[in-house]
Amino acid sequence: MQPVEAVEELASLPEKFQAFTRAVKTRAAIAQTPKEVIWTLNKAKLYRYVPVLPAEKRHPVPLILVFALMNRPYILDLRPGHSFVEFMIQSGYDLYLLDWGEPGPEDKNLKFDDYVLDYMPRAIRKLKTVSGSEEFSMLGWCIGAILTTAYAALRPEGLRNLILLTAPLDFSDKEHITFAKWVDERFFDVDKVLAAFGNMPGELIDYGAKALKPVDNYVLNYLKLWDNLDSPQVVEAWQAMNTWVTDNIPLAGGAFRQLIVDLYRNNLLIRNEWVLRGELVDLTNIRANLLTVIAGADHITPPCQSKAIMDLVSSKDKELFHIPGGHIGIMAGSAAHCNTWPHINGWLAPRSE
Amino acid sequence: MADKQASNGKDYDPVSAFREMRDNYLDAWAKAMVETVNTDAYAKATGMMLDTYLSASSPFREAVEKAMLQTLQQLSMPSRADFVSLAERVTNIEMKLDDLDAKLDRVEKLLAQPIVVQTGKPAPARRSRKKGAK
Repeated sequence: MQPVEAVEELASLPEKFQAFTRAVKTRAAIAQTPKEVIWTLNKAKLYRYVPVLPAEKRHPVPLILVFALMNRPYILDLRPGHSFVEFMIQSGYDLYLLDWGEPGPEDKNLKFDDYVLDYMPRAIRKLKTVSGSEEFSMLGWCIGAILTTAYAALRPEGLRNLILLTAPLDFSDKEHITFAKWVDERFFDVDKVLAAFGNMPGELIDYGAKALKPVDNYVLNYLKLWDNLDSPQVVEAWQAMNTWVTDNIPLAGGAFRQLIVDLYRNNLLIRNEWVLRGELVDLTNIRANLLTVIAGADHITPPCQSKAIMDLVSSKDKELFHIPGGHIGIMAGSAAHCNTWPHINGWLAPRSE
Repeated sequence: MADKQASNGKDYDPVSAFREMRDNYLDAWAKAMVETVNTDAYAKATGMMLDTYLSASSPFREAVEKAMLQTLQQLSMPSRADFVSLAERVTNIEMKLDDLDAKLDRVEKLLAQPIVVQTGKPAPARRSRKKGAK
């Protein structure tokens, strides 16, 4: 770079600042795939995506997506051309999405018991009625994978295929699970937090997730945007992801308490001792075909949390799939459409006939 | 000078050198921070900060809540607790409706099936009531 160019670059700084601020503040158009609401209960909604293939070309077994409780599920349908939902519809699935919605103060007592035994069975009954199929496949991501695992163990009827993405199920290796250290009973008083807030505030959850990699999330993320302001593709992708990341929702107090006490501290699920509304979540009841996807560089759900389930279920057809990438990147990153999505489709398609 | 640079095939770029240095520094910092946050000391420090905040804000929060409740009562307006109770009742009603919907679905499904009489042969299809019939 010549001195003249360096001066020119310095002179363009105010303009660059403006473009940067605009990019950070702009909310991207997300979740564009057409869908209709077919069921609601409290804040939860079940969507059915409008199929793009005729019925005879679609797989007869429908697929339902279950995302985490504390984030918006549109990460699965981030933007046209970069959407898992769009990819799966084009691959011929009758696709449904369970959106938990945003819990209010009146939902502070909602627990995993309610989500697994009240909400999910009702949503799946509706799915069966609408699709006309008694069998279905279920994909759970992050906390959604805890919900789908518990559901698969407690209500296994009709569940043909179970896909778990970055599933935090085993909390025994506390040395590699940073969250487990933070919520240790010596340092974190869960009841005091819930007494103050009712539900676990989205901002605190967001801080927790970002503080696992503070420099990446608070510095490098913005630096990446700054360095690529002249690339519309990068800016567009950044805005879409930033829209999702900053759209935080609280986690119902009762469910948060269970997550900390039952799972992070006492590891009840993988020890086959977790009881929801008097029913034991017995993992040996899971007989559905099982695909577990592990992200190699996942800092939120380290790989050690997702492996043990493979030896505890009764499924005969099961696969553990390792993929390089982070917790969100494996499904929403720029390479997802080349590796994770085709693998899921390749595994699920023959099992959905 | 310029001729010499041209003959080497590349110009010295101070900005890219700065970027490289910056990226190396940030990379090292990022790795160090990931290790730092994964320690008991960090967990203890953040836990203590949160605890202090909650303890300090609790009396104010309770006072505000109490004052708000009294104000709302004097104005004959519903409080948050009233809305919470109402919302819970609405959710219960929604569940009852959902149960009814499920039952109706089952009835509809049964009605759509052909009735099998004791002989094992399917009964003739039901005839719908003619328009205007009493």
